[in-house]
Amino acid sequence: MYNFLFYFLIEVFGVLFMILSFGTVLIYFIIMILSALEMRDFRRKNRFADYQDIITSPIAPGVSIIAPAFNEAANIVQNAQSLLSLHYGKFEVIIVNDGSKDDTLQKLVDSFALVKTAFAYNPDIETQAVRGVYRSTNKSFRRLIVVDKENGGKADALNAGINVASMELLACIDVDCILANDSITRMVRPFMEETNRKVIAVGGVIGIANNCDVQDGTVTKYRIPESTLGRFQVIEYFRAFLMGRMAWSRVNGLMLISGAFGFFKKDLVKAVGGYFPKTVGEDIELVVRMRRYMEEKNQKYRVAFVPDPLCWTEVPEDESVLSRQRNRWMRGTIETLQLHRKIGLNPRYGFFGMVSFSFWTIYEKLAPILELMGVLYTLVLILIGDFSAVYFFALLTMIYLLSLLISVFSILYEQITYNNYKDKKDLRRLIWIILIEPFVLHPKVVLWGLRGHFDFIMGKGGWGKMIRTGFKTAEDKKNIQTQTGV
Amino acid sequence: MKKILIIEDDLLISSLVQFRLKKDGYETLILKDGNEGIKAIDEENPDLIITDVMMPFRSGIEIIHHARKEKPDVPIIVLSSLGEEEEVVLEAFNLGVSDFIPKPFNPNELAIRVKRALR
Amino acid sequence: MNGMKKTKVLFPLLFLFFTAQGQEIDSLFSDSLQLQQELIRQENISNLSYQFRLMEEPSSELDSLFDFEETDSGWVSPKETDWAKLDSLHGVFVGYNPSLEYVIYEDIADQGGLENYLQTLIRTGDFVPGFDPNSNKIDLVLEASKDVFRPLHEYKLRILADYKLFWVTIIVLFFLITAALMITSMLIFKSQRNKRENLKKEYDELIIGPLTSLLFEKDLEEIKQISKLDLVEIFPEKLFDKPLFKQVMIERIIGLNKKMKGEFKDKLKAFYKATGLMDITRRNLKSKRWDIITTGLVQVNEMDLSELLQEVKKHTNSSNFHVRSQSGATLLNVSSTVNLDFLRDQKYPLSEWQQMNYLRIIKFVHNTKSLELDKLFRSENPSVRLFGIKLVRMLGRLDLLTGLKELSTKASDEEKIELLKTYETIGAHMEVDFINSCIQSENQELQLEAVKVAGQLGDEKSLQLIIGLFAHNPDFELKKSLMRSMYLLNPETFERYTKDQFSEEIVRIRAHILDPLLTHV
Repeated sequence: MYNFLFYFLIEVFGVLFMILSFGTVLIYFIIMILSALEMRDFRRKNRFADYQDIITSPIAPGVSIIAPAFNEAANIVQNAQSLLSLHYGKFEVIIVNDGSKDDTLQKLVDSFALVKTAFAYNPDIETQAVRGVYRSTNKSFRRLIVVDKENGGKADALNAGINVASMELLACIDVDCILANDSITRMVRPFMEETNRKVIAVGGVIGIANNCDVQDGTVTKYRIPESTLGRFQVIEYFRAFLMGRMAWSRVNGLMLISGAFGFFKKDLVKAVGGYFPKTVGEDIELVVRMRRYMEEKNQKYRVAFVPDPLCWTEVPEDESVLSRQRNRWMRGTIETLQLHRKIGLNPRYGFFGMVSFSFWTIYEKLAPILELMGVLYTLVLILIGDFSAVYFFALLTMIYLLSLLISVFSILYEQITYNNYKDKKDLRRLIWIILIEPFVLHPKVVLWGLRGHFDFIMGKGGWGKMIRTGFKTAEDKKNIQTQTGV
Repeated sequence: MKKILIIEDDLLISSLVQFRLKKDGYETLILKDGNEGIKAIDEENPDLIITDVMMPFRSGIEIIHHARKEKPDVPIIVLSSLGEEEEVVLEAFNLGVSDFIPKPFNPNELAIRVKRALR
Repeated sequence: MNGMKKTKVLFPLLFLFFTAQGQEIDSLFSDSLQLQQELIRQENISNLSYQFRLMEEPSSELDSLFDFEETDSGWVSPKETDWAKLDSLHGVFVGYNPSLEYVIYEDIADQGGLENYLQTLIRTGDFVPGFDPNSNKIDLVLEASKDVFRPLHEYKLRILADYKLFWVTIIVLFFLITAALMITSMLIFKSQRNKRENLKKEYDELIIGPLTSLLFEKDLEEIKQISKLDLVEIFPEKLFDKPLFKQVMIERIIGLNKKMKGEFKDKLKAFYKATGLMDITRRNLKSKRWDIITTGLVQVNEMDLSELLQEVKKHTNSSNFHVRSQSGATLLNVSSTVNLDFLRDQKYPLSEWQQMNYLRIIKFVHNTKSLELDKLFRSENPSVRLFGIKLVRMLGRLDLLTGLKELSTKASDEEKIELLKTYETIGAHMEVDFINSCIQSENQELQLEAVKVAGQLGDEKSLQLIIGLFAHNPDFELKKSLMRSMYLLNPETFERYTKDQFSEEIVRIRAHILDPLLTHV
């Protein structure tokens, strides 16, 4: 009897893995084709784009840039300056000092001649206490607003910024990322262009600034990072932005807008109650909740994506930092999917619920677990000497080839659209990384993901109870006391 | 014969300018990017430099800097695209260029300005 | 998601497969006699032998025949592998009662074990069951009814046993074929692109020289007279028939036109028309691809091809955003008498992007060309009406206020908000009644805007309305707006209503309004 059960399980797993590998191959081919089509259309559209009068036009919407800062004293002044020098007509820069323990605030006050104002703070979205709102006495810094508040984490700081923001659009960014001068004009375009559907959010490409030359807020010379981990992330970012996001934006299925660089419609962010400070994945969670809101209100909407290179950031090249980052991403994903599990496979949420959500569940959340099981399964097959182990070896080889193909194509896409990495030596190095990635780096990523799962189960971070019950509707967040019981 | 450097990435523009200036009897040399331009300033001993602002590799501002340092007496005429920011224009004038011609421009007008600058 | 559905189908299938196997084991042979007959018929089966066991001591005669081995449970004969001998050997045991034992490898098996073993052999193909035709002489029909129906038994087993191989092969093949297709198409794409780029460079060189000399050496009238025959002399022969060559030429001329002034611009335009490049533009306008149509529209716009305006007009209601936007811009730019009918009759909502482009052009031409902007107020399309209201504000056209007043009587709330903004910007004090009526609106957004505008343009009645609203303890946003307008209209009233207040909120907002650094926040 046990014998029979064992073999039965082996059979079931065999079928499951076969379906999974077939699905993976199919899905990634579809993604590659969709992203190629999107790339083609984007290039065609850009031929006719004329950004010359968006800076001065009174029709262009105002933008509130919100940058939370926590212990950033070293670079905060320089970062604020580069934000203030962006080329756009109607915008304000809101820097939120999230209870820094260093002299971030003092540095800002000194450099920009700030004084504490009598600003009547309206906690439309609940946040930690705001200690003061600062503005400059110097006219040339009139765009700058500094909010000083008690520490509450990134999402909480962003919420405080949203409460203070006075413009129609929000640009939520990491204070230390490098923005191109024309980044606002480019990101605002999708909001201005669409008429049939409401554009609720726009995401951008994040480039890797490690080892590159930066001049006046733009990367002038591209070089790939020195370390293998850094180089690996270059390819990873190509894949994520030039393939993944491109393809999903074509079918309006984007679930994630990177927290380092995202634009949102303010009225909608407020309607859903802002960022949810109890999750470590506040960026993906907000987009999911906004989409859910639009679906629940039966309104046509779109989450757009701008593939122009506009934002660069330093990625961690240190293994322990990177592993913590990936662990956090995984927990954020699990928490978000958990909070909104009502959406999953629910036809009421259309394509978003049926396809995007399921894809994320299988290929982002469960991927490390499935991979681990796949490896164990193959090992078991080999141990019991089952002949079908050979087939599964064939499948594994195929998945390896698939990963090569995807990575090579993503580099090709980069060459066709940007052609930033001009040095042939750099390209050869990247190809080498592609070859070794599945053996050397990928297992680490899987491991970090598994640790994320483990930490989630152990209830590290996040807000256990709430996440277990989930949101009943997109607006549910507003009814929840997020500030108590910390 | 006076020698004029034309540093401009749009070949059609530079060849138009060259054609017009040849008619007035100048010797001209076309350089298609900033790097070539800087090299030519060092090696060619020009009597006048016409340069664009937005160019691959090195900006016109860098070229003006270089020319001011190496050949302080050679007049410079800047040929710039419409919509170039005021700061750039101001910076160019601060560096001591002799003339600033915004595009769209008329090659005949340019020829007159060249004559004036060389006087 | 699809995977989930598939597994649901596959589970029952799998289950069926297993139960089907179980039934086969039970019914392979109806009884032990049939089994033995089958074994005899097969004569030899790998690793399967048999032996006899006697419970009583065999006679010496019997023992000499078999050489029995004595064990705890009786006397056992040596193993025999030739099943054909079974019957003759059995005949020797006269007077004894031997039991027949099956031995697989070295182990004794019962009938069930043996059948399992045979089953495995059937699967690997080492054992092909069949029936002795002689044994079926009795009753074919009866025998057949005993036999379970097994259609194409062998094939079914082979495919099902190897279903993994089957699917893995399909998947790998699918992968290889698609990957190969994608790589080839990418390679083709790249090489075509490179070829085009190279050709373009080559053509570029060929165009620059002749075009330059043409622009300097021929005057405008001469260029207008150029015929296609002359072109052959100017440019290398044959090339002018190549579409790519013409395309490069068009790009160069348009690029140059943007950067040239005065007579050169006129010469370029004349050249464009004389050389028949306009036919390409016309063909572009009739294309099915949106990007080609838009390219054509840009060409009309840049080269002032007023001859093609009729074609352009056809695209103003295109379903493609780029096409209808660009055709509108072209119409505004190129036609000498701009007729805004096309904009008024626009079916699709005007996007902000379009509004921005049109605003730029209208700003440029509204002083020189007579635009009947009030046409827009009468549009059926709400977004066009909104744009009309915005235009009054952005162009500062006070002469259109009467048109706005007319519109305001039947305006939607959204239009009213836009009207309020416009009145505020151009300082339309005479519309204070309209503002006051908006303050009393149920629509919060409209009310908020009206309160704000009343701060600039309000009268005594507005102030009374504001005080009335303030008394009802409104939400934070409205309260702030009310207090600011109150302050702007009459600082004394503001003092009276907000000083020495117990409400912490009012105290904070009061401080906010009085802070000189926050005048516009």
